Amino acid sequence: MDKNLMPIVSIPEIATIVDIRDEIEDVRSFYFTLDRPEIEQAFQIRSGQFIMCTVFRAGEFAVSLPFSPENDRKHISVRKVGKVTAALHQLEPGDKIGIRGPFGNGFPFEEIKGSNIIYVAGGIGLIPLRSSIIHVLQHRQDFGRVILVYGAKSSKELMYKDSIKEWQATENFETHFTIDRPEPGWSGEVGFVNHLAAKLDLPVSDTVAFVCGPPVMFNAVIKELKLKGIKEQDIYSTLERHMKCGIGKCQHCAIGRTLVCVDGPVYTYKQIRTLGEQI
Amino acid sequence: MYWLKKEQLELLVKKLAEEYKIFGPRHDRVSDEVIFDHLTDLSELDLQAAIPYNPPKFILFPHFEEILKYRYEPETKEVRIEQINLLEPKALIGLRSCDLTGLLCLDRFFLGQEYVDEFYLAHRKKLFIISNTCIRPFPQCFCVCTDSGPAAKDGFDLDLTFTGRDYLVEAGSKKGQVLIDELGLAEAGPEASALKKKIIDNSVSSFDSFALENKAWISRATNRLTTGFIKPEVWEYIGNQCFECGACSFVCPTCSCFNIEDANLESSETDRLRTWDSCSFEGYTKMAGDNNPRKPVEDRRNKRFFCKLSYSQSKKYLRPGCVGCGRCARVCPGDIGLPNVVTYIRREITGESGE
Ligand SMILES: Cc1cc2nc3c(=O)[nH]c(=O)nc-3n(C[C@H](O)[C@H](O)[C@H](O)COP(=O)(O)OP(=O)(O)OC[C@H]3O[C@@H](n4cnc5c(N)ncnc54)[C@H](O)[C@@H]3O)c2cc1C
Ligand code: SF4
Ligand code: SF4
Ligand code: FES
Repeated sequence: MDKNLMPIVSIPEIATIVDIRDEIEDVRSFYFTLDRPEIEQAFQIRSGQFIMCTVFRAGEFAVSLPFSPENDRKHISVRKVGKVTAALHQLEPGDKIGIRGPFGNGFPFEEIKGSNIIYVAGGIGLIPLRSSIIHVLQHRQDFGRVILVYGAKSSKELMYKDSIKEWQATENFETHFTIDRPEPGWSGEVGFVNHLAAKLDLPVSDTVAFVCGPPVMFNAVIKELKLKGIKEQDIYSTLERHMKCGIGKCQHCAIGRTLVCVDGPVYTYKQIRTLGEQI
Repeated sequence: MYWLKKEQLELLVKKLAEEYKIFGPRHDRVSDEVIFDHLTDLSELDLQAAIPYNPPKFILFPHFEEILKYRYEPETKEVRIEQINLLEPKALIGLRSCDLTGLLCLDRFFLGQEYVDEFYLAHRKKLFIISNTCIRPFPQCFCVCTDSGPAAKDGFDLDLTFTGRDYLVEAGSKKGQVLIDELGLAEAGPEASALKKKIIDNSVSSFDSFALENKAWISRATNRLTTGFIKPEVWEYIGNQCFECGACSFVCPTCSCFNIEDANLESSETDRLRTWDSCSFEGYTKMAGDNNPRKPVEDRRNKRFFCKLSYSQSKKYLRPGCVGCGRCARVCPGDIGLPNVVTYIRREITGESGE
């Protein structure tokens, strides 16, 4: 590996928060640049990877990279759930964070060229998929049909509304949205995302699906996709585990015989099924 | 091979102490246990002592360690990260072969695989290792079942074998040879190898009469753990006996799970600490929103034995993860030290069916 492209393994690199945006309730995007120019330059990612982010005086946590490997602003989108993420939400532009990574395998890109692609996301499950969606749209001519099926509890909980508008302006990008319960002014579907997926006319052959969301939604969607005939090895997802090191040493993220931080976080459903553990 | 006279041992230790911090087995009067410890008083080194209560892993992978320090100035928003210098020459004297094998497992795990653990590497860089053949096993030992003793095969700088009066010394590295030359040790004749072999053979054949506490025919258990063909009732039976105390992980020479935590000091400084952890603890896999994929204790217990004996984990260590030291069996308040678990798996014991 080119030494400049090596991930930041042990000692966090300092980065500055340059911009903050509210996405949905309790979820904010933090745009950042790495302080050392040579590191900023060398920081290259694959869609589906993650970093370990230090919030100084609070701790470190694992977070997906929602930006495209090409021409996109570096950021993370974080839900406030506990000690460290709450401390991050206190920060303002100009504040510093620490970064190690990028880590993990990432989604396949070269291997799936020529295929139809179905993205199915539930709630903040769109965060880890965003990078791949943009990357694919940046290379639109290399793929067949590209479809996003996205559901959330309510319209207020749909992530990345601005990005979605931009994507919809791309030719040949099909989008379908659903929310759990009817709302005034909502013209999309109502019901769970798996029900929506079941109703749609989705491609089956030469098709890969990327599914991300809470475990209940995930299992229900997989069932529908399999019923339609999509093969288990063509369904990808990212798994989440308690992570402490990100580099395969602390063992907190062990699932079956694999470690999510180095063997994942991207797994095919076929792999997930043979892990022998709850996801 | 060379001869080290009993009187010369002191000389050797003194010589090493000029350059290295000395660790070795000593008898602790307070606890009445043999412990592997930093020797502030070199005369406390006791190479005849029994297998120490604790393995030497704490020297490379401390129970509790500051791996990083940073200072955050809230006014200016400046951050300064300070690397901790963990590089310190250390000599480990009198390592028993199970513990040396355990250390080599840790080497392969921390230094091999996808990434190198830089903190472990810093501790490892300047080690001098002297192993000590077990001329007779201790009651808890089963290294002959796990191919990790009673004598060291590699990984040492010097290897000692007590012959009843003096020590036979073998160099395993250039560093070791240099020390032998410096001490001017007498070369042992051609009969030395045969003598050493005889001592080891004697030790192996005395397992039947001395090492009575534990046996572990691990190969069948390895198969079962790897393929996952173990009835859930067996895990339940095992899980029901676990107190979730973590003692087994802490005394195991190859257990290496850790936690990382940032601890704020009074000033604007913060220490990033890495501490031992155990897969037996319920919080180990807990995620936000109280979502815990491995809640039942048996789910967590099978993880430990998977780590020690499965084929997939052995690929990381290039051998089984258990080195047969018997410590977990000694400390477990339940009755699920590794040798017992192997028996339960081999015989599919689930409580009701009995032996
Ligand atoms: C690969 C990966 C990608 C992730 N991507 C995102 C993302 O893009 N956006 C986002 O908001 N969250 C993401 N998470 C979850 C995020 O890491 C946790 O929400 C966060 O660690 C919670 O930390 P806390 O201190 O605020 O919560 P607390 O509950 O106070 O956490 C205590 C400890 O538990 C650990 N922990 C708690 N929940 C999780 C969890 N779900 N996963 C892993 N470790 C956890 C933390 O390391 C922390 O040390 C991701 C997790 C993983 C593993
Ligand atoms: S020593 Fe025994 S009781 Fe304690 S955690 Fe280990 S297996 Fe469980
Ligand atoms: S599993 Fe038990 S017997 Fe085996 S090496 Fe660890 S502590 Fe020793
Ligand atoms: S996060 Fe430490 S091993 Fe995966």
